[in-house]
Amino acid sequence: MATERNSVELVDADTVGLFARAALLAALMGAASYVSIPLPFSPVPVTLQVLVVYLAGLYLGPLWGGASIGLFLAAGAVGAPVFAEGKAGVGVLVGYTGGYLLGYLLGAVLVGLLVHRSLDRLRDPAETSLPVLVGSLVAALVLIYALGVVWFAHVQQVELAAAIGVAIVPFIPGDILKIVTTIAIAKRGVIDPV
Amino acid sequence: MLTYEPDETVAHRLDPRSKLAVQMGFAVAALARISPRALLALSAVAAVALLAARVSLARALYAYRFALVVLAIAPVVSAVTLGSPWIDPAAAVTPALASYRVLLILLVSAAYVRSTPVRDSRAAIQRTVPGKAGQLLGTGVALVFRFLPVLLADVRTIREAVAARLGDERGPVERASRLGVLGLSRAFARADRLSLALQARCFSWNPTLPALAFSRLDAPVLALAAGLAVSPLL
Amino acid sequence: MIEFRSVSFAFDDVPVLEDVSLSIADGEFVVLAGANGSGKSTLLRHCNALLTPDEGEVLVDGVSAEADPVAARTSVGMVFQHPRDQFVAATIGADVAFGPENLGLERAEIDRRVASALDAVNLSGRETERIDALSGGEQARVAIAGALAMEPTHLVLDEPFTGLDEPARQSVLERLEDLAADGTGVVVATHDLRDVLALADRVIAMADGRLVVDEPSERALEALESISVRVPRSRSRC
Repeated sequence: MATERNSVELVDADTVGLFARAALLAALMGAASYVSIPLPFSPVPVTLQVLVVYLAGLYLGPLWGGASIGLFLAAGAVGAPVFAEGKAGVGVLVGYTGGYLLGYLLGAVLVGLLVHRSLDRLRDPAETSLPVLVGSLVAALVLIYALGVVWFAHVQQVELAAAIGVAIVPFIPGDILKIVTTIAIAKRGVIDPV
Repeated sequence: MLTYEPDETVAHRLDPRSKLAVQMGFAVAALARISPRALLALSAVAAVALLAARVSLARALYAYRFALVVLAIAPVVSAVTLGSPWIDPAAAVTPALASYRVLLILLVSAAYVRSTPVRDSRAAIQRTVPGKAGQLLGTGVALVFRFLPVLLADVRTIREAVAARLGDERGPVERASRLGVLGLSRAFARADRLSLALQARCFSWNPTLPALAFSRLDAPVLALAAGLAVSPLL
Repeated sequence: MIEFRSVSFAFDDVPVLEDVSLSIADGEFVVLAGANGSGKSTLLRHCNALLTPDEGEVLVDGVSAEADPVAARTSVGMVFQHPRDQFVAATIGADVAFGPENLGLERAEIDRRVASALDAVNLSGRETERIDALSGGEQARVAIAGALAMEPTHLVLDEPFTGLDEPARQSVLERLEDLAADGTGVVVATHDLRDVLALADRVIAMADGRLVVDEPSERALEALESISVRVPRSRSRC
């Protein structure tokens, strides 16, 4: 038995802690797809998934925030009902929403990089200046929109203008609301970053 | 909702790696061309996939019903023009074919979802993605499956509590930020407890991997996957 | 055998354990009492190197837990409160197999351990059931099975009765009684002493990071009453 035990390579405590938070945030991302907040001025229901993308970058940083969204995508691809409206499957990843989903991953990494300016040393989002916060979130949203709409137009074989009309414009009010909400959360400073 | 269900179908008996390979091959083939002939062939493959996993077409369509709306809108939007003749049906043909191929891709993944338990998916990931990344990815995927119902219940109780205390008179930002703060802090509290439990159970980089073995049944499936993947070159 | 030798530990400069010496023999059933914030959880987490002492040393079977955490975590199985947050898989069998898989055991040995651990908590043959469909008491027992699958000599439980209704609590107590009868050492930290004292060989109590009671269980009640009048200083974490 002794030789067997010696060969066990434990994952170190810090990594386990970050990994567990990344996995739970990925599950929260899945739960958020079931929450839609109706907006009086918008025709489409708005889920809170992009909000969780922002929180991933803010509270886990670029590396583990990105890993968290990566876990969410992988779990959805192999059948966890975590994509919008409880969908699952590889097909959702490569279908018309594929660009958005890739955008979620890169968006979390981008927010993490812009806010923390380091791969692993995280600062408290509550102490980030408002312009940096707003700039990071808007940049991530633009990235998500750009990837989303280009892939949508390609896969659906529609004109870019039509894609923007279908896949961006209806969501703008809700996405602005989520940026404001994220800033409100960050500034309250009640969640400890790792 | 379409999720894994225990059964004895052909698809259930396949190695998860073969099933993932077929989906990838199928996506490559379907994204490469949308000629009616190609789509006819792909329809046949999708039908076989659904049959093999015993998923009825109606059920698969219902699972992706919200996607169907978007798939229907895309050709309609393309047919609309900003001047006379206002509607140009010819412009809708290509987007309609494109929508159809996306639908086929979704249907094929429905077969995987019904026929593959988490344990198999985790094994496929850990045996395909090398090293530490594969270990964390496989375990992490299993954790997402495990904690999704727990966090859904959290979100539900938080929403009820917020609705009871704040009613509907507060704005959406106030309600969404409460939900965000409480949802994330509960998730992190659970994560911190999970982290202790993982360490207590010797969470390691080099565990015994779940057993997986290709059988004779997998050979034609892998051949199909390869054929689909190279079909754009033909 | 778990030994604490003059162990002190502080969280952010707040002392939580102060000069604790203690020895728990194989097969002993020990109840660890004390108010919230008295340092019970911190003490337990030293048994398997989840925390390591600032001063002093913890030995498991004569080997420093800090130097060989794998050995310590294999010999000392640990179950925490909130069983819901300790599961790594959606089904019972996959979860209980997690520990033995991490030890790198052969698949046949893992299956044998899963079956035997489930047997020990009265959940035989239920490997494929979903954990979130189980009652609270059943979940608590699955968590215990997850620790037992490591085949530990000691099973340490930190507030295992929190949130359990009475039948569930009884079902856990019965399993602990059986395990102790089969020779597994059991350490239970709880502020809810009902019925547990009857099972215990020995009672330890903590207050303000120190051991204040260490008596055979028959003499413990008196000693516990003598400390229960003390108001523990509040601590932010334990």
